[in-house]
Amino acid sequence: MTAITIRRAADLAAAPPGFALRVFAAEAGKGLRLMWRRRAVTLSGIVLNGFLYLMIQFFIGGGHLPLPVLALTLPGLFAYVVAATAAVQGSGGIAEEVNGGTLEQAHLSPARPSLLAAGRLAALAVEGLIPAVVLALAFGFGYGPHWVIRPDSLVPLALIIADALGYALLMTALTLRVASIGAVVHVFNMAVMFFGGMFIPVALFPHGIEIFARLVPTTLGTEVLNTTLSGRGLAAAWAGGTLPWLLVHVVVLAGLGWVTYLNTLRRARREGGLSPR
Amino acid sequence: MLDDQRADGRGGALPSIALSGLTKRYRRGKGWLTAVDDVTLTVPAGQVIGLLGPNGAGKTTTIKMACGLILPTAGTIWINGYDVGRQRAGAVRQIGAVLEGSRNVYWPLTAWQNLMYFGRLKGLRAREIKPRAERLLTGLGLWDRRDETVGSYSRGMQQKVAIAAALITDPPVLLLDEPTIGLDVEAARTVKEWIAHLAAGEGKTVVLTTHQLPIVQELAGRIAVIRDGSVIADLPTGDLLARFAEDRFEVRAAGQLNGFAGALPAGARAEADAGATRVTLRDADQGRLQAFLGELRAKDIPLLSVTQARPDLEEIFLRLISQGARDHTAPRAAEDREPAA
Repeated sequence: MTAITIRRAADLAAAPPGFALRVFAAEAGKGLRLMWRRRAVTLSGIVLNGFLYLMIQFFIGGGHLPLPVLALTLPGLFAYVVAATAAVQGSGGIAEEVNGGTLEQAHLSPARPSLLAAGRLAALAVEGLIPAVVLALAFGFGYGPHWVIRPDSLVPLALIIADALGYALLMTALTLRVASIGAVVHVFNMAVMFFGGMFIPVALFPHGIEIFARLVPTTLGTEVLNTTLSGRGLAAAWAGGTLPWLLVHVVVLAGLGWVTYLNTLRRARREGGLSPR
Repeated sequence: MLDDQRADGRGGALPSIALSGLTKRYRRGKGWLTAVDDVTLTVPAGQVIGLLGPNGAGKTTTIKMACGLILPTAGTIWINGYDVGRQRAGAVRQIGAVLEGSRNVYWPLTAWQNLMYFGRLKGLRAREIKPRAERLLTGLGLWDRRDETVGSYSRGMQQKVAIAAALITDPPVLLLDEPTIGLDVEAARTVKEWIAHLAAGEGKTVVLTTHQLPIVQELAGRIAVIRDGSVIADLPTGDLLARFAEDRFEVRAAGQLNGFAGALPAGARAEADAGATRVTLRDADQGRLQAFLGELRAKDIPLLSVTQARPDLEEIFLRLISQGARDHTAPRAAEDREPAA
């Protein structure tokens, strides 16, 4: 065989320049490639979620699409699809990696687990956003809800995505600990679907349920997004208390997801749980 | 020998792998299960060591602790001078691993994508990975199918991709846990030849576990046997075979030895062998052998041959596992030897 002179990883005493970026890109790129391989799942998710949303809206409207309700619930659909898709793919993906032994191989990297987690999250964000954006555009252009499109809507949009990813990371982390995680993710996703404002605006819930609903991932984000899309701006959302609570919710959920993920990984290393036991 | 060995400050070279007092206990219900119990092993650079043991003996746990994938309960692991517990990043850069019972690579991705991914994870740039990936895939006969998903490959090809992924950063230490499991004869042979090439041609340190003992016998310069989490034997392969060859003789005598069965020494076994009888004397010293030959002569039974039998590794392994006696002197004897070619 011909000898090829390349630098060996073994020769590197410390992380080379750009190492973190390369690892992040490699992990995110892997996630996106795997997403492309299962694009049929993404496509069927778009069709099913869109169909379900339409049917429920027809049911609520007594055979008609109530456009004012559509304008208020479309942000909920967007948030739900991001959160549910990221949670299902995050949980299913890591379960497959545990069973396939690739999670162990990935953690043979000198990179910190948090860096790998960041790359994983980036891919999940894209995987969740693609169907959400497709559905939002389809219904948005299809039915033309009366929205006031302003730049400050990007703030709740970003916070919704962060909230959804925190939730997805928590579900991904729990996959390493809970045997019947599929059912757990399903139940939580149902909660996001029904209490997140995808079918009925949260303000229409009875007071007790309204309070509970605001604890559910993405609900507060949907409320703030509705506020900005109605033209009232972030100041109104701040004054109404939803924006401060949304910020708290995002920080707590993202922090909980992050800490739980890293702790379950460490625990898995203690108990040999990075591979099937 | 590798050219990047780190000096130990005393003019010597650090061992490639040094496990000291390595212990792993898992909580099971209210009690504890000891998977690995105080394992101490030192593997010089360039040596191929076969790590043998029955299922559940602790081989895989030991290998995964060496990879930093399982945290030990006690003990230390050094890989090429890096403490796995405290310098994990440096240590895992030294390692390429094929782990037992798993795919090791992403089946929905192509072979090429897998190699690029694992190379980047170890810190290499694309331009550094590509020539090596090309060389590995060509050498393993996968170049023409590099853009097909690994899931579409045969089992043998998938295992080759796993090996290529382990080698993509040219690591000096290879931990191969059951690399030939589930492979057909041809694929297993290819993998075996690659391991031989990596050890002899590239001077890599290889820890090899497999239940296919002839492969170990052929490749490994040293064998360590683990039972119930403890190392019960650790010797250079030749010494291990010789050691068990000393106490077994095969005597071939003409005829069927009718009426002689009762006179066989304790532990001896007689089998018909093409008109003759082959008597195997186990745990026999020269005195017992001579006594037995004397009895044959006394009964005028023609002696055809006397050979000192060489049990194969499988037989030795089974005897070691069944007797389980811990050999306290063996590990030190093995450490003092030169690395096997």
